[in-house]
Amino acid sequence: MKLPLSRLCPILLSTVLCVTFVGCNVVRFTLNTPITQNDVAFIVPGQTTLADVITKLGTPDSITDSYTGVVATYRFLDMKYSRVNFGWLLKFWSPVDADLLISRTGLGTDALELLCDSNWVVTHQSFLRHLSGPRFNPYPF
Amino acid sequence: MLLFKPLAGIIIVLALIMTQGCAFSRGTLGEDISSESVDAIKKATTTKAEVLSLLGAPDRLLQVNGRDVFQYYRYDAKVGSLLLILINFSRVSIKSDDLFVIIDREGIVEDVILSKRTDGLKFRFWPFGE
Repeated sequence: MKLPLSRLCPILLSTVLCVTFVGCNVVRFTLNTPITQNDVAFIVPGQTTLADVITKLGTPDSITDSYTGVVATYRFLDMKYSRVNFGWLLKFWSPVDADLLISRTGLGTDALELLCDSNWVVTHQSFLRHLSGPRFNPYPF
Repeated sequence: MLLFKPLAGIIIVLALIMTQGCAFSRGTLGEDISSESVDAIKKATTTKAEVLSLLGAPDRLLQVNGRDVFQYYRYDAKVGSLLLILINFSRVSIKSDDLFVIIDREGIVEDVILSKRTDGLKFRFWPFGE
């Protein structure tokens, strides 16, 4: 029985796709819940206290001293890793387990820093970096 | 109704063929911060010595704004993996519980700040989305 081209194309396409994605790994690593600009929109410098912030965002990861008061820091991390092993194809023909790997890691680290005065009132707040977030992309070149 | 049975069978067989396995791992750092011990700490009443007897020595001792701050923390990591023949998905989620006990110059507790972020931590394997 001969398969018509219209029925063969999806099979070929899916095979090519499967072969392309052979030996793929997709890993994501998150530390704490990322805080966005919207999450900190309620903070009014000079009015909001650290206690108000803690009520909404939880405790900071660290509190350190400064000349003008206290610095509270919320840290978070979002890492994305993807890998493709084209050497997996040789498994069917070669007795040797050969690897041809391409991989890429995107590390998104950020922190929200709050500067408070001696009465625990937030005077300044800022993110260390304004990240757009890493993407899953195994192509390293 | 009869149509669904072969379809369900095909899906189950495909899932069994494609799935090599699943993996769940968990790692913790530090002891659980007991809510009873934290509730026993009263502002303007409890002393530094009582805090130490309730919670033990702090993980970090800070001097902030003219006060001593005892920091206790605990980290919880949950890893979920779905291992397929062609592609593997993994997700590592880490969150922490933090307790700050602020002690004034007289050695009395001024404030207690606790947040338990690990309560909502789940095993996830799907790496996309939030």
